[in-house]
Amino acid sequence: MANMANIARAALESALRDRKLDRTLTTAPWSPGDRDPSVLVPTDVAVLDTCLHGGFPRGQVSEIAGPSSSGRTALLLALVGAATRRGEIAAIVDTLDRLDIASTTVAGIDRTHLLWVRGQAIAGSLPGIERALDRALKAFTLVLQAGGFGVVALDVADVPAAALTRLPFTTWLRVQRMVEGSDTACVIVAPQPLARSADGLTLVLNSSTPPTPGWAGNSNRSRRLAGLDVAARVVSPRRRVDGEIVVRCTVEDVRRPGL
Amino acid sequence: MFGALLVTEATTIDALLAVASDFSPRVELCAPASDGLREVLLDLSGLTRLFGDAETIASELWRTAADRGLDVRVALAGTRTAARLLVHQHAGVTVIAPGGEAAAIAPLPIELLGTVATAELPPPDVPTFRRWGLRTLGNLASLPGDEVAARLGQAGVAWQRVARGEDPRPLVPALPEERFEQALDLEWPIDGLEPLSFVLSRLMEPLGAHLARRNRSAAVLHVRLHLVTRAVHERTLQLPTPIRDARTLRTLALLDLESNPPPAAIDRVLVAADPTPARVLQFSLLTRALPPPEQLSTLMARLTALMGEGRCGSPVEVDSWQPGAFEMTPFAPAEPDAASEDAASVHAVQPAVALRRFREPVPVRVRVDEGKPSRVTTDRRGLGGGRVETCAGPWRTSGAWWASHGWDRDEWDVTLTDRATYRLFHARDTGHWFIEGIVD
Repeated sequence: MANMANIARAALESALRDRKLDRTLTTAPWSPGDRDPSVLVPTDVAVLDTCLHGGFPRGQVSEIAGPSSSGRTALLLALVGAATRRGEIAAIVDTLDRLDIASTTVAGIDRTHLLWVRGQAIAGSLPGIERALDRALKAFTLVLQAGGFGVVALDVADVPAAALTRLPFTTWLRVQRMVEGSDTACVIVAPQPLARSADGLTLVLNSSTPPTPGWAGNSNRSRRLAGLDVAARVVSPRRRVDGEIVVRCTVEDVRRPGL
Repeated sequence: MFGALLVTEATTIDALLAVASDFSPRVELCAPASDGLREVLLDLSGLTRLFGDAETIASELWRTAADRGLDVRVALAGTRTAARLLVHQHAGVTVIAPGGEAAAIAPLPIELLGTVATAELPPPDVPTFRRWGLRTLGNLASLPGDEVAARLGQAGVAWQRVARGEDPRPLVPALPEERFEQALDLEWPIDGLEPLSFVLSRLMEPLGAHLARRNRSAAVLHVRLHLVTRAVHERTLQLPTPIRDARTLRTLALLDLESNPPPAAIDRVLVAADPTPARVLQFSLLTRALPPPEQLSTLMARLTALMGEGRCGSPVEVDSWQPGAFEMTPFAPAEPDAASEDAASVHAVQPAVALRRFREPVPVRVRVDEGKPSRVTTDRRGLGGGRVETCAGPWRTSGAWWASHGWDRDEWDVTLTDRATYRLFHARDTGHWFIEGIVD
């Protein structure tokens, strides 16, 4: 009887594979080598791409989550920079208008291929932040509906948890449905995991250890910020978890040429 | 049968064209002569039923021009070349019966060839013809063609054909400037954008079709709304790329009118497009295609309507050392080339630390011990503050001291007890401390 069940299951899985319907929650996780590279957006950061088995998946909602100074923005800009250098276009919906243009320069972003949607730089008041978040989500859906972008990122990293938790869960379901089947890698940058589609991934930064800035120089006068050690861990039910990796982000401040 | 009209006095070409257009829709404008006189050619085929024989047509042409104050010469012949040569030689009206062109122009001086030179023909080598003893067009026409070709090449053969009264090419009629516009007078004034969208759809469809028929696209779209107050509400949209899709044009016009609505009800709508040659796109097999410009234009218009003017686009750095200075430019990505993808595929980088910048720096209270910040306190929600664990600085920058937006400050990088790393600065002119951004 068990043998018959196994045969039936194998036949069913084979039929699903033939019709390309095997990407469901019930199937086995991807093994690292069986992924078509064209469905991934690499970050060009070797250690991170190895950990992600190639990069962020297209047609899925993924997340980069972590506290302040955990390297969320650095990894997002690395992803956007890699996409724009390959000639793709990318969009960043910046809910509270926090993007630093000098940082996009050092991240190697081709800014002619970057669409930056600036939200309102609201300070403090929760109702104002909720309005800015609502507007940013509308802009985010407009960009996703337009299509053609390699990477579309929603930056809600500085939005208070109170405003994020008030969003209806259907918001993220709608985003997932919009992205599904497209060539866009959708990335949400948030202080904690919010939403991820079935085949997306969550990159949690500094979940167990606090952010570790690296300082150079032995004396008070010679000390300078040299980098940031980002401890990243992939959380995904469909990916093999390789434990925590550490990505070293360096300081390349174009405004301090002596450093 | 063709006619040639030569105005013998300096006048505007429009008056001459108006006379010619009264007789034939097929009118070719000749290049101005060296003495500034203008000449037009007419295709008069089939006009005998309307006006009568060739002599009648010629005299009618001359009379019509005279009625309009133009002193013209008129020549009618079976070929355009013969008509042009004759009109330059004979004053008044000249009519040559079809078939008699070669004989009619044979006695004309060979110098007349210069008057019918066109862009397709090289200038005639009249001195050479004179050295050969040729005095008239008939002399040149009677030479053996192969001998002329052997000495002067194809140019000589072409000029010999002209001397025989043959046309080097068909007539190229001048097309009147075409206007791409549609208008609709409304029976009842409309108020609001929703009914206007239906009217715009109705106007944009034929406008788009007209542009498509002429293989043109709109570079600029004009929307003129005549209001019940007798005022005209006019909007001009500079399109980022040539567009002729009616739905896209309608959406762009509507989104613009959403931001700039008319102040009163509308009783006439006019849309006009400045035409430009349509885009020709060559897609690559090796790179991902970018979204079509129509799609990007619509997206940008929607985003601008939602977020506000100047809040969507591509950022560019400005030529300044002022921290955080940038400008927004329209988002118009160029098609990538295959080389960029190849180069990027082998490009591995190390991520760079980024700054999350507060557009308005956050004021903080900083306790300074031994010249270094030792504690940071802020009332801003979401920013913890605390004791400074490690700091580096100061880096002093200043600039634009001659302007109102000048700066003079000391920057510090500090890690607080909440393990977040901030960039602080101390404004030296006011003595206040601010958080510029969070290192992330």
